[in-house]
Amino acid sequence: MSSKESILSRIRSHTGTRYEQPEITLDAIHYEDKTGQFSESLKAAGGAAVVLQAGEDINELIRKHFPDAKRIASNLSEITCATFDPDSVSDPRELNNTDLAIVEGCFGVAENGAVWITQQVKHKALYFISTGLVILINKEDLVNNMHEAYKRVEGTDYKYGFFVSGPSKTADIEQALVFGAHGPMNVLVILR
Amino acid sequence: MSTKHSIAAARFIANRKQEAWHDETLWMVRVKRDKMSHSLPEWERLRELACDIKMYSNSHLDTLLEEFEKNAIANGAIVHWAKDAKEHNEIVEKILQQHNAHTLIKSKSMLTEECGMNEYLFSKGYDIVESDLGERILQWMHLHPSHIVMPAIHIKRQEVGEMMERVLGTEKGNSDPTYLTHAVRKNMREKFLTADVAMTGANFAVASTGEIVVCTNEGNADMGTSFPKVHIATFGMEKIVPNQEALGVFTRLLARSGTGQPITSYTSHYRKPQDGGEFHLIIVDNGRSDILAKPDHIRTLNCIRCGECMNTCPVYRRTGGYSYTYFIPGPIGINLGMLKNPEEYSDNVSACSLCLSCSNVCPVKIDLGEQIYRWRQDLDKIGKASSEKKVMSGGMKFLMERPALFNTALKFAPLVNKSPRFMIYNGLNAWGKGRELPTFAKESFNDMWKKNKIQKP
Amino acid sequence: MKIGLFIPCYINAVYPEVGVASYKLLKHLGLDVDYPLDQTCCGQPMANAGFENESLKLALRMEDLFKQYDYVVGPSASCVAFVKENHPGILEKAGHVCQNSSKIYDICEFLHDVVKPEELPSVFPHKVSIHNSCHGVRELHLSSPSEMNIPYFSKLRDLLQLVKGIEILEPKRIDECCGFGGMFAVEEPEVSVCMGHDKVKDHMSTGAEYITGADSSCLMHMQGVIEREHLPIKTIHITQILAAGL
Repeated sequence: MSSKESILSRIRSHTGTRYEQPEITLDAIHYEDKTGQFSESLKAAGGAAVVLQAGEDINELIRKHFPDAKRIASNLSEITCATFDPDSVSDPRELNNTDLAIVEGCFGVAENGAVWITQQVKHKALYFISTGLVILINKEDLVNNMHEAYKRVEGTDYKYGFFVSGPSKTADIEQALVFGAHGPMNVLVILR
Repeated sequence: MSTKHSIAAARFIANRKQEAWHDETLWMVRVKRDKMSHSLPEWERLRELACDIKMYSNSHLDTLLEEFEKNAIANGAIVHWAKDAKEHNEIVEKILQQHNAHTLIKSKSMLTEECGMNEYLFSKGYDIVESDLGERILQWMHLHPSHIVMPAIHIKRQEVGEMMERVLGTEKGNSDPTYLTHAVRKNMREKFLTADVAMTGANFAVASTGEIVVCTNEGNADMGTSFPKVHIATFGMEKIVPNQEALGVFTRLLARSGTGQPITSYTSHYRKPQDGGEFHLIIVDNGRSDILAKPDHIRTLNCIRCGECMNTCPVYRRTGGYSYTYFIPGPIGINLGMLKNPEEYSDNVSACSLCLSCSNVCPVKIDLGEQIYRWRQDLDKIGKASSEKKVMSGGMKFLMERPALFNTALKFAPLVNKSPRFMIYNGLNAWGKGRELPTFAKESFNDMWKKNKIQKP
Repeated sequence: MKIGLFIPCYINAVYPEVGVASYKLLKHLGLDVDYPLDQTCCGQPMANAGFENESLKLALRMEDLFKQYDYVVGPSASCVAFVKENHPGILEKAGHVCQNSSKIYDICEFLHDVVKPEELPSVFPHKVSIHNSCHGVRELHLSSPSEMNIPYFSKLRDLLQLVKGIEILEPKRIDECCGFGGMFAVEEPEVSVCMGHDKVKDHMSTGAEYITGADSSCLMHMQGVIEREHLPIKTIHITQILAAGL
């Protein structure tokens, strides 16, 4: 008998009462001002959110936030401040020493400042290896909570997708919060 | 009457300053968790749902695991099944062999700890690099986690600084957490870029999509899996959830409970292999299917490893993870240890004042304290009850079942009050270690009532 | 309604004045209260130590002692909780259906939920810190457990507010365990004492003169720490405050 068969048969013989699948009904939190809440949640997570104002240039906004960034990666056509296309490198290791990556997200979650991103770049390393990360989302693409978030994710296809809420962080030394454990030290979400 | 836990606990408490720091630091995590849970009016409903979903999924493991496997294979993943730790470790070794790999970079996984995988692979000559900062520190110091979410919580910054001076050549005397963390960041970058194979655990495995979900704050799982061609993800089979709708419930509870954050920095969904890569999934039993046969303890399978039962436990906070003999400490560890091997791990059952705070914080409503109470009832059956305790309990039983004798005892009890201090407060008297004994009343309630002293209007 | 007063073993032996205060209080409120003689113990110490079977005869005895009463009322939340939560299971094994479980009340719970007095004649011009005992909070629901997201309530506070001159405080860790835990206190003495010390300090930090609560066992444990360390705070059972002046 294969391990699979033996595990499954143990499960079957040991399972007693089979409980029913619950219906997930609840009155989940929602916000009058989703943008404000998203921004506040993201700030608490160590990131920042800005709303692109009418007539404001997105590339200038990015440059203003990251004046020192030299090596800037993006495969988005609207990002003219990028210095290279990360999809043009064959080995993800070549992305090391990127100062800033500019990527697109699908939507944001007000309750926790997270953005859902599905892999739209050749190397997913891009999302983690650069020192700064800028995520663009449409300002109407905000949901209240994770229940609504997964409703939007359901049925979509992706190789790899992730919620990201602020920069990489750790508190493993005496519970002292430090940003930039391994991934980005700064995360800026632009609502456009 | 001492247990291995009580002896180790006494040692931990002997360093009063460290104990107080440990207690207060973990209490602050509990406070953060309270703030988070109180910010959601639907909190208690979420816990109820999480428990109900787990009761459903753990009583349908056969069908859900098969559904998961089918979908994972359709996604292009390779699925393995491991009956026990040995088989698990051999599966990993085989994958490493197939790829001529030497270095395995891994993110935090309590399951690999459970399987003793690192030790096994080291003995075979492989290099295992832990990428979570806390785990990396422990690896350098040759230690095991003392907490399942904050693995190095028992280590002081000065100790970390001194260790890093040796292994990374950091500045002498610099123990600033930011400085040290960034020194590791620099060192680890190299490791991420050069590892042969990446390994992660999984917080959730979704049956309906065949994907796994990994939650980290550091992004180390994501970094680790971004360069090697091969990703191995391993998980205990109770990590299965039916669908993404269920994730909506669990992702709202996990970090709020564990660290007091609304969500971890990264909640990553691995569904398909990267281009030209391989994605291996290992489904592990290692005793879990046996828990299904124990209705009294089945809820321990609900556990999502948030660690909050440790943070709230007044005993854990004051005694540290190493005072327990099972590799998972605290309330959930006491229970899981007893399920693993009651003869071996019964020493942890004493580490509980039955305050039941753990049962109240648990996001998946495991009746942790109540189960510890039930385990105590089993100790005698397996010959692990303390003989001293048994005598005390038996003596009380004898006395209490005989009211006349009890009343006589109460009559003479006040004499104890007059005993010389050295007779009362000696090494045999555990109560007297840091407390004065209560003084017996001159007249018991029974006596007073019989003499009509109370009933007078 | 006929009330049987339940006096646990250690109150009988060490704190009879708590039993006296309970009786006076119930009497004062015009209730028909009686004390069935020769009570001993509910069996909790043995059960918490892992010898639940040794509690069987005691549980049966309690059933017998209180069978003629409509209510069983006792001044010890932990013992009451044990009868309420654990006697049914213990008795079931002997084929007996537990009667006490559904009619037993901690005295605070009974006063608050059943008697509902609007005033008390008691005067207690002191600062008191409420000790929310684990089993009182998490089994009998005498107050809202700090872990749960439910509105704050405290039956103890509600009752104490009927006392004239009193100032009511609560510690920072509002319902953290004091470390008594029955046999735990002697099986893990260092941890138990450490928890007791921390708890007393937390009560002291409120500026209270007294620690009060519904569980004499917790108070006994903390009193032991207070006396050993000569700390400037006292313990008093809540019934003694509610009955002050009677």
